[in-house]
Amino acid sequence: MFGKKEFAMSVHHRSARFLHHHPVAQVLTVFSFWLIGEALVRVLGNPLPGGIVGLGLLLVLLAMRRISTLSMRRGAGWFLSDMLLFFVPAVLAVLDHPELFGLTGLKILFVILASTALVMLATAFTVDRCWKYLGDRKEREHA
Amino acid sequence: MPEAFLHTLFWSGLTIGFYWLSKQVYRRWPRWWLMPLAVTPLLLLLVVVSLHESYRDYIGGTHWLVLLLGPATVAFAIPIYEQRALIRRYWPILLAGMLAGSLVSILSSWALASLVGLDGVIRLSLLPRSISTPFAMEVSSEIGGIPDLTAVFVVVTGIAGAVMGDLILARFRIASALARGSLFGLGAHGAGTARAHQIGATEGAVAGLVMVLVGLLNVLMAPLVALLR
Repeated sequence: MFGKKEFAMSVHHRSARFLHHHPVAQVLTVFSFWLIGEALVRVLGNPLPGGIVGLGLLLVLLAMRRISTLSMRRGAGWFLSDMLLFFVPAVLAVLDHPELFGLTGLKILFVILASTALVMLATAFTVDRCWKYLGDRKEREHA
Repeated sequence: MPEAFLHTLFWSGLTIGFYWLSKQVYRRWPRWWLMPLAVTPLLLLLVVVSLHESYRDYIGGTHWLVLLLGPATVAFAIPIYEQRALIRRYWPILLAGMLAGSLVSILSSWALASLVGLDGVIRLSLLPRSISTPFAMEVSSEIGGIPDLTAVFVVVTGIAGAVMGDLILARFRIASALARGSLFGLGAHGAGTARAHQIGATEGAVAGLVMVLVGLLNVLMAPLVALLR
């Protein structure tokens, strides 16, 4: 006979094993974390979006090892690798903004190009500078 | 009722079909101007315009796809957790890079937009364009921009950034893989991350991680940015 604890364990193991092998169930699990996040936001009046709350919740469970990445990796991978499909419809909003096809569009393009170049340079130089600084310090500690 | 259903079926089917098609084409001919990011919306625009339909008609049939950005945000927990060794080891450096990049992104967008005479919602919608779409649209609505317009700018940034990153790497000496990855993850989100994976495994991992973390950082900082208004 199973005790109550052993029974709970075996259910947990079986559901985990099921999840590891069923990508569709994984997709649904990711989805349910989002629903829980949305529900929490509604109930608690949290200023954060539901997706972010769901992300935080999942991260906490992963860190506490209550859930394994194996039971969600493929489901999450599907959402992430095909994310373009989810925002492509929003891009067609350009139809409502005919001004984007004129001078305003050129101005916007200039802002995006120049700003992106600046962001990339600032990030790369900051990271490289810190990396060299920390690297030098580590070498001195070893010497 | 059946008409609404057919409407959704048609536009959703077309969107998924074009997306699938442009992915196949890009797999075969991986040129920057054939990126699905550019080709899919262009094909859809062509059809919507030639059928004399409006954005409202189109989005009415495809809005459920946009809603899936919510669970996609949740999915970002997996790459964060899997790269925890990278975070533990380099978090001060990555944080410094993310703060510098975000600050330059927001301030330079604001300054350059003002310089060329853009203002109002367009200027606001430009501010979060260098982070990943689900985060960018969230920040945009928080600070008073138009999320859909921000999605357009995010796409243009992704295409431009993936190309520009290569030019910058060719012209400037950037010593660490950490910096090369951060450059792509911060400057060009998903498209940049895909490019970084082609350059090297470390660059790709760093880019993917930085892209997610900087998205989170920006969502948390959005109330501060709203003060800029």
